[in-house]
Parts: sequence; structure tokens; C-alpha cells
Amino acid sequence: MDSTYNDHTTLLKAQQIILRYDSTVSDDTRNHMIFQSDRNQIDDYLQAVDEIQRALQSTTVSNDEEQSTRVNSTIQIAMARLEDEFRNILISHTAPIETESLTESFSSVHLTSRTSNSSLSEFNDTDDSVHSINSLAIGNSISSLERGESSTTIASCRSTSSIREIDLIPSDIVYDLRSIAERMISGGYYRECVQVYGGVRKSAVEASFKKLGVEKFSIGDIQRLEWETLNTKIGKWIRAAKVCVRVLFASERRLCEQIFENLGNDVDDLCFVETVKAPAIQLFNFAEAISISRRSPEKLFKILDLHDALVDLLPDIEAVFETKSSESVMVQVTEIVSRLAEAARGMLSEFENAVLREPSRVPVPGGTIHPLTRYVMNYISLISDYKQTLGELIVSRPAAGSRYSDDLTTPDMDFADHEGQSPLALHLIWIIVILQFNLEGKSKHYKDNSLAYVFMMNNIHYIVQKVKGSLELREMIGDRYLKKLTGKYRQAATRYQRATWGNVLNCLRDEGLHATGSFSSGVSKTALRERFKSFNAMFEEVHRMQALWLIPDTQLREELQISISEKLIPAYRSFLGRFRTHIEQGRHPENYIKYAVEDLESALLDFFEGNAINPHSRRRSQ
Amino acid sequence: MSPTDTHVFFLNRISIRRNQVVSMDNNHEQDLEELELFQKHISDRFTQLLPTTGEEETLTSDDISDQMLSITWFRKLLDTYLCCESEFKAVLIIGRDSSQFSKPPLDRLLPEHLDRTVKALDICNAITNGIEVIRHWQRLAQIAVDALEQRPFVEGHVRRAKRALNTLLMSMTGEDKEQNAHAGKSAERMWSISRRGGAGGAVALPAVNHNRRAIISRSLSSNFMRSWSASKQILAMTTNLAAPRGGDSTGLGLPVYLMSSILVLVMWTLVAAVPCQERVGPHFQLPRHLVWTQPMIVLQEKIGEEWKRKEKKGTSGLLAEIQVIEKVAQNLVEFAEGFDFPVGAEKADEVAEQVAKLAEVCRKLEVGLGPLQLQVREVFHRMVRSRAEVLDVMDVVAKINTHVAC
Repeated sequence: MDSTYNDHTTLLKAQQIILRYDSTVSDDTRNHMIFQSDRNQIDDYLQAVDEIQRALQSTTVSNDEEQSTRVNSTIQIAMARLEDEFRNILISHTAPIETESLTESFSSVHLTSRTSNSSLSEFNDTDDSVHSINSLAIGNSISSLERGESSTTIASCRSTSSIREIDLIPSDIVYDLRSIAERMISGGYYRECVQVYGGVRKSAVEASFKKLGVEKFSIGDIQRLEWETLNTKIGKWIRAAKVCVRVLFASERRLCEQIFENLGNDVDDLCFVETVKAPAIQLFNFAEAISISRRSPEKLFKILDLHDALVDLLPDIEAVFETKSSESVMVQVTEIVSRLAEAARGMLSEFENAVLREPSRVPVPGGTIHPLTRYVMNYISLISDYKQTLGELIVSRPAAGSRYSDDLTTPDMDFADHEGQSPLALHLIWIIVILQFNLEGKSKHYKDNSLAYVFMMNNIHYIVQKVKGSLELREMIGDRYLKKLTGKYRQAATRYQRATWGNVLNCLRDEGLHATGSFSSGVSKTALRERFKSFNAMFEEVHRMQALWLIPDTQLREELQISISEKLIPAYRSFLGRFRTHIEQGRHPENYIKYAVEDLESALLDFFEGNAINPHSRRRSQ
Repeated sequence: MSPTDTHVFFLNRISIRRNQVVSMDNNHEQDLEELELFQKHISDRFTQLLPTTGEEETLTSDDISDQMLSITWFRKLLDTYLCCESEFKAVLIIGRDSSQFSKPPLDRLLPEHLDRTVKALDICNAITNGIEVIRHWQRLAQIAVDALEQRPFVEGHVRRAKRALNTLLMSMTGEDKEQNAHAGKSAERMWSISRRGGAGGAVALPAVNHNRRAIISRSLSSNFMRSWSASKQILAMTTNLAAPRGGDSTGLGLPVYLMSSILVLVMWTLVAAVPCQERVGPHFQLPRHLVWTQPMIVLQEKIGEEWKRKEKKGTSGLLAEIQVIEKVAQNLVEFAEGFDFPVGAEKADEVAEQVAKLAEVCRKLEVGLGPLQLQVREVFHRMVRSRAEVLDVMDVVAKINTHVAC
């Protein structure tokens, strides 16, 4: 009897407390926030709520209809109050996350800058070429490729989990929130709880988005943006996305768990989904829009960056969005990743096509390195930088022509020569094959065969040097193919020498100089004079022309000069030795012997320097 | 299939086609037949979407499951789109001499169609977002259902229901966005306690108000920039949409035009039905002289009428389920305003009936929204894929041409 009495007074007291804070009574009560006053008041109120809830369960109350109605009304008043208190506390703690320190630590820890300056600086060398870079079918992308990539940072390590949770709300406040949530949920108000929580936290996430620079873009917007702008945005997005997933979303998840875990109805999960799902979809919309944008070769590396960043994030996304109700985020990201992979594959084959079909026909003056060669080789070096990702993405062989096809527009490539090489390596070799094929075509536009050979020699030599210069590239291309290429430029050098110097050296032969029937002096003076004259004329012409030609690689240039000199100088010296007296005995020997051996030697140094020789300065030096 | 395969695939098609020893006349006849069939299928499919006679009055009836603009109906509409789209691609690409893609009128029509597709992708995203908004409404409605199903029936329950329903109605009518104008009143309706800065003093008033507004109108805060507008997208999709004339009307320009029209119609209908940013709608016109457009025109007119009728009242969307929620919510709020305790038996029955209706719609949304959202996503994927395929064909053709040119 006593205990019932006690229960009754406690209940009455509890009811009084609840009614004292009935928000509908007056403005004063409405404006008074319990959780902003002292601890006792908070504890009293929470205790009162507990008391009422306990009473609701008890049989004595439920048997008494009048009292049951009263208790029921009271609990509704309490719930309405708790909802407002809950909302108020949440709203007071919606500051966006501190981003400065976060982004910094993230970029230094998880992004290793791999700058591709070295391989791309060469693009600048093409300036003096009369070839406008824009005349290349793929040329308009060179500048953007150069500019964009030189600042590229690539996530090079695939971290497992880099989640870093922070306290979005101080722990004592979290405690208050949990006290309220607990009571709202046991009072059947879990839906309100979710609505209020999701609403407030979602706007907090949006505020953090703003701070992180996550922009709202439609797919249409993305399609309209210039690639260069997009390029920068992708970099920024990758950094922001890492913070969003690993810090922001992960911390939201933890906050939900701290407040709602084990309170039933999967409220923690519901709240998390309400808070983060829409922002997450917004975040990934950008990557999605990029993944469906039009493919073009210069986008490849940024697409790969994005791909790698997402692959890198996948385990974290999976950890954060682990539940059934949030799995759609994971599904979306997986779709994006595979679409990016597809795009990368498409871009590689598009690049191959572009290299094959690159249509410029104006010969590069001086037979030097074609801008296409530079572009392609720099592109290939970049590919080798991404060989890990691309090696996984590129699984089929290039669509090369077979040697049996009669298609003259596509070169052949025999895969049997490349047993054991990865599909990606085959693609790289194939790109070099089609580059050579294209260059062969271009070389035909030179009127002078010798120059065509110099052009081929220069370009293939450049290819070989580029491959040798990169460990990755050399490894993938393989020494065997490299040898083949080396053989090719040597062959071009030999052909050049034959084409240019065959005729010149012909002048220095003995045959045809001996007058028939005469054995004593035996030499026909007229023939000899003609020989000297035509040698002089030929050499002068070759000297004048080929000084203008250009072999940019010093070593290659010197080697060729030496090789020429080794053939020319001994032949000339011995010819001169044998026949000089015949000329000097006659009149005006200076008309026939124009060059001393030393003159030829020094003249050879002018070859392939790309400068016009100055005839006056030469005379003076004589 | 890797893109390389795709290229090979299409290239094969082209060469096969070129090597075929078929007389041009035969080919042409076959093409015409194909086109004819395509049009007929479209017409048939859209006829099935029209309400059967006598059904029109059922908009107010209780069972909305199958009626026009219900979730079930939308799922059929999207199915129709997917079917038409598959057939379109078959007609357009398979077995086609793809050199046509680089010649007029396709060299202009296809890029335009792809451009519309990109806009449609954004609309799909907006719709996905809109479905989330409907979910939010459904949850609020569910609170009211929960509260009003409680026994004993006390004032607190009614107040709880009223609060949820007021939030719901405000979100539906977009009033939450206009709070600046008459902040006090709506805020009070929304909050059981209208808190002012003075008491606690922890947070300055403007900040709190700002936050509140953000929270309340969050339901419609979409994933796009504020300037994005669904109606502008639709408008942009329709501006250069013109039926092919003269000789073109029997060529490949026709299926492209057909598909674009279907795309616009489907997107327009979605925008009409689902809450999304700036959906106050343009009413586009389909040309009347083409046989196949008849069922589409009827459909479009019916929805247009409905839209005009509803536009005056609010902007919540024409989805049948939403309309029921809106109406029942209004009734229940009315009831709650004039609530007197104890409730008479007659009144109680009336309320119970409304609550049952609301509960039923909530159940339908619970079951239907997920699949609808997935289907919208499927449409999205399909459009992405088709766009890529058409771009591929166009690129291959372009490459062949460059090559021939040099």
C-alpha cells in the first residue's frame, strides 16, 4: 500500500515537471531550453520522463482509464519537448569540419607527388619547328597534356584503411543527445528522432562540403567545361573526396553510433543514411559525370588518377557504407570505377588510332624529330608511369593488322615475336610500330631520299633513347625489340651514307682516269680535271645542303660525322696524293684542288648542325 | 566487351554491310519496313499506357495502384522507354551502313539527340533526388499514421500528428522555402516550440533561423546548383526538336526524332510527377500529323491538363500517391485544428478512415519507391551506354573519313 502511494506521488511529481515545460502553455516555457540550464534541471527532467514511461508500462496505470489518458498525454508533451531539445542541441553543433589541417595531412601522407616534368618538358622543344602543333590531329591536346600533367600528383600507394574519425560534437553533448534519443525511441518517437537528426546533420555535412570545395555540378555542366578547367577540378575533387570519405562520412557514422547504437530499430543506420546518402551521391556525381564524358587521349592520365583514387577509396567506402540501406553508394562508386576503366581502355585505343591516322604531311625541315614522335613518346612514358593501373586494365592485345592482311593502311605486328610480354607492353610496342608506320609515310614527302633517311634515323633514334631513358619503359618494351629498333636507325644511317656519299666517293675512284694505251704518265688530264671539278661541286652542294639538316642528338651527329669522315677523308687523301702533281703541273691548279684534307675535315663539322654555312667566313679561314 | 572489341564489332558490321550483294532497292524497302514497324511498336506501347475509357474518373477513387501517374504506371512508362530505346538502337545501328552517321541529316541530328540525352541524365539524377524527397514525406506521413493509430486517443497524439503533417504540407507546397516572407508563422507551425535567442543565448538568432530554414527546406535542396532547373532542361531538350520533313521523313532522321520525342515525353512526365528543382513546367507540343504520335499526344495532353489543374495549388508533383497524401494530410490537419476531446464516434470513424488511407499510401510508397528509384537508375545507365555506343560509331566513321581524306 505504501509503495503504491509512493509511486503515486513520484508520478504526480514527474507529471508536474513535465507540465512545467509544456511548450504550448506560454512563450516563456517555450523559450526556456532545459538542456541549456543546469545539470540538476536536466537530470530532473530526464528522470521525470523515465518515471512516466515506467508508469505507462505498469498495470496499475493501464487499468485506470482516466489515469492512463493523463499519463499518455503527459508523455506526448514530454516527447514534443525532447524533440525540440534534441533539435536545439544539434543545431548548436553544426560547425563544418576543420579542413585546412586535414587536407594537408592527407595530401602529404597519402599522395606522393610524382611529377612528370622531366618527360614532358620536351614538348617545349618543338616551338621552333615550322610544324604548328595544332596541325596534328591530336596536337591540340599537347599543350593541355603538358600543362595539366606537369602538376599531376598520383596516389601511388594503395592504402588499406586510412579512416580517421574526429569528434564532430563534444562527448558530453553526445551524452546528452544519447539520453534524449534513448527516451524518444522508447517512447515510440524514433521517426521524429531520425527526421530531426538527419535534417540537421545533413546541413552540417553540406556546410563541410562547402568548406572542402565540393561543388554542385550537373552532368551537363561537366560536359561543357574546358578540359583544362576540369583537369584542375579533378585534382581538387580527389583531395576533397578523400577527406569526405575518410574523415567526414566516417565521423558521421561514428557519431550516429555513439548516439543511437543499440537503441533499437536500426536507428543508428537510418540516421546515418539520412545524413550522408544524398551528400555522398552529390559528391560522386562529379566522378560519374567525368566517367561518361567524351573520350580523348589527353584525358587518359587524369582519368587514371581519378580511377586510382576511387579504387584507393573503395575499401574505406565499403567500411563506411557497409549496411544494406547505404549500399547504393558503394554500388554507384563501383559503377563509376568500372566506367572509368572502360574509358581508359577506350582512350588508349583512341590514342592508337590517332597515332595511326595523324595526317600532317608537311615534312619537318632538316629531317629532325617530328612533333608527333615527341608527343607519342612522352605519352608512352606517362603510360609506363601508370603501368600498375593500366597493366590491370589493359587485358587484351592491340587490334593490330596481321602480316597476312592486304590492308595497306595498317601496319603488321607479329605477336609471336613477343611471347610472354604483357598486353600493356604489346600495346606500347604496337604504338611504336604504328608511329614508325606513320613516320615512314611522312618520310616519303621529302624530295631528297638522303633527307628521308636522316629523318627516319633521327626519329627512331629518339624513340630508342626515350625507351632507354625510362627504366619502366625499357622493361616493358624489352631489349629484343629495342635491338630491332636500334638496327633500324643504323640501317637508316647506312642508307643515308650510301645515298649521299656513294656518288661523291665515285669521283675519287681510279677507274676511268687512265688514258687508254698510255702507261707512262697514264692519266688523262681532262678526265682528272673533270673529276676534281665534279667532286668539288658535289661536296660543296652536299656541304651547303646538309649543314642545314639537323641531328639534334650530339652523339648521333658526331658518330655520323665520324663515319662519313672515315670513308671520305682517306679516300680524298689518297686521291689527292696520287693525282695532285698532275694538276699542279697544269695551269690554275687552284681551280681544281679547292679543298685541302683539313678543309674537308672542318667542313664535315658543319654537317647536321641546322645552320646555313657562311661562304665568306670559310674563305677567310682558308 | 572492351572498347577495342566494340570497334572491331562495328567495323565488321560496316564491312559486312559493304560487301553485301544486295540491290539497293531491296535494302531500302527493308529499311522502310523496319521503320514502319518501329513506329507501330511505339504507338502500341504508348496506347497501353493510356487509361482505358471509364477509368478516367478513378483519379479520385481509392485504388490508385494502376491509374495514370501512379508508381506502378511510372514503372510501366519507364519499361516502355527501355523497350523503345532498345529497338531504336537496333534500327539505328545494327546492320546499318554507318557512313550515314557522318552525312546530313544524321551528322546534326545524332549530336543533338546525344545532347538531349545528357540533359536527361541530369533529370534522372534530379528525379532520384526527388524520390528521396518523397521518402521524406512518406516518413512524416507515417509519423501521423503512428500517432493517430494510438489508443487511447489523447490530445498529445493529435498534436504529434499535426506537427508531422504540417511539416509535410509545408515541404510539399514549397512554403518552407519562402519562410523569409512570413517566417514567424510557418516556423511556429513547424516547431512545437518557437525558440527565440534570448533564453539560452548560446546561439545568436539569425544563425539559428538560418539553420532552421536550411533544415526545413532541405528536402528540396538538391544535388545541383541553384541555377539548375528541370523545366529549363526540358525546354532546352525541346527547342531544336523538329520532325523531319520531305525526303528525310523516311530516312534515319525519323527514328532519331522519334526517340528524342519519347525521351522528352518521359522526362517531362517524370518532372511533372516527382518533386524536383524548378519543375514549373513548359508544355511542349508534339507534332500532330504523324500517326505514331497520337497516343503520346493524348498522354501528354492528359498530364498537361492535370498539371495545369494542380499548378495553382502547389508544386508537390503529380504522382498519384503524393496527391493522395497531400489531400489526406489536409483533411487530417483540418480535423486536428478542430479537435475536441472526447471525439465522437462518427468523427472517430471518419478520422480512422483517413488514417487507413494514409497508411495504405505509405505502404505503397514503402514498397514502390525503391524499385522505381532503381529503374530510374537503370534508365540512366541505359542512356549512358547508348550514348557511348553511338559516339563510338560516330568516331569510327569520323576516323575512316579522316583516313580517306589523307
